[in-house]
Amino acid sequence: MSNKNLKYLTGPFSANNPVIVQILGICSALAVTVKLEPAIVMALSVTAVTAFSNLVMSLLRNGLPSRIRIIVQLVVIATLVILVDQVLKAFVYDVSKQLSVYVGLIITNCIVMGRVEAFALGNGPWASFLDGIGNGLGYGLILVIVAFFRELLGSGTLFGFPVLENDWFNLYACGYSNMGLMLFPPMALIIVGCIIWIHRSRNKDLQEK
Amino acid sequence: MNKNSNTYIIIYSTVMVVVVAILLAVAALSLQDLQYKNELNEKKTNILQALGAAEGADFDQLVKAYVVENGQQTETPAEDVFNMMKTNKDLRDNYKAGKLFLFKDNEGRVVIPMVGMGLWGDIWGYIALEQDMNTVAGIVMAHKGETPGLGAEIATPKHQDLYRGKTIFEGDEFVGVTLRKGGAQNPAHEVDAISGGTKTSDGVSAMIKDCVGAYVSVLKASPATDAVEPCAEACCAAQQTECETNNVENNE
Repeated sequence: MSNKNLKYLTGPFSANNPVIVQILGICSALAVTVKLEPAIVMALSVTAVTAFSNLVMSLLRNGLPSRIRIIVQLVVIATLVILVDQVLKAFVYDVSKQLSVYVGLIITNCIVMGRVEAFALGNGPWASFLDGIGNGLGYGLILVIVAFFRELLGSGTLFGFPVLENDWFNLYACGYSNMGLMLFPPMALIIVGCIIWIHRSRNKDLQEK
Repeated sequence: MNKNSNTYIIIYSTVMVVVVAILLAVAALSLQDLQYKNELNEKKTNILQALGAAEGADFDQLVKAYVVENGQQTETPAEDVFNMMKTNKDLRDNYKAGKLFLFKDNEGRVVIPMVGMGLWGDIWGYIALEQDMNTVAGIVMAHKGETPGLGAEIATPKHQDLYRGKTIFEGDEFVGVTLRKGGAQNPAHEVDAISGGTKTSDGVSAMIKDCVGAYVSVLKASPATDAVEPCAEACCAAQQTECETNNVENNE
């Protein structure tokens, strides 16, 4: 893999992260991050959709009538999202129920269309595919970090396993209690805000003057 | 070729739509069986949950399904019954047509499938009755799109636990279980409504009234034999202690 292609893949992890730098896809970051498991499934679903919509649109870009460009993008993205939804319903029914409408709402996730417009229509299929995977995973990374804190502090569990009480120690016995506020969407925004704060303070070139 | 000419655009979109349609149809058909199996499993789990069965209990061993038509109960394979109530619409149509479905467990408790309207869309669930055909053994509810944190609370165990031990008959008259705004006043037939979820709460009250109400003659005809009475009493007694412990906890 050439250096340039590697940059397409890894750039969105940090310096060009879709959520904390491009500020795209915040809405689903609020909705599906109460628990780690749905957050990871959501991340993988979005990654699949961004990767393949980028790939398909990049392949179609030369024959694409520019007047119906947006419609074609929507059809491609919607098709992929429906496919993902069907697969989730067939193989991970529980998680698909937890994600409920948010799988369908990947269609409106700004990251997907944003990357198609900004990247796939001007680059080759392989580079677009990598860019899609990179952006999907960059989005997923933030989702997982947020879900980690929300599940740990809000429910005292990770992947559904209680981690704050076990045979050796029990934090609840010492007067600790779960922070119910963490289960509500506003706390996701606050955690995303904290992530952006830490991220910017470590990346001087991202700081606005 | 002019890529922005009308002919090109029309041909392009036609081809695209046909390709997409074929792709989606193939995917939907090939995954249909797996999806249906998942839904069936969920219905079975819900019924077992309403009965308060232990996790991992075997539905096919514990529960028998019946179709009730014109007062006649016919035992029917569970798969066929689930097929007849595949969607909420099917269930609703059957209610209208007077065709009722009933699940009985091996202890003689019954489960009634319910369907109703919340604020934004369908709500549905299963209510289980003890052997006396009067006391609620458990309820499981789900919804299509009630507001999270408000109406959607009906799907939480915390809310569903409130129904256990309520009775649906006052003497000989069917009253159902009502969700009362501002807190339950009649402990026998009322539970607290959900604050901020009044429309959904009303929907649940109406759902219980309409759906369980349709079974009144069946429930009254059911053999509530003396043999099961002691158990029913024991159950009630157990529930009362439970209630009392709850109260104590609340007072603390």
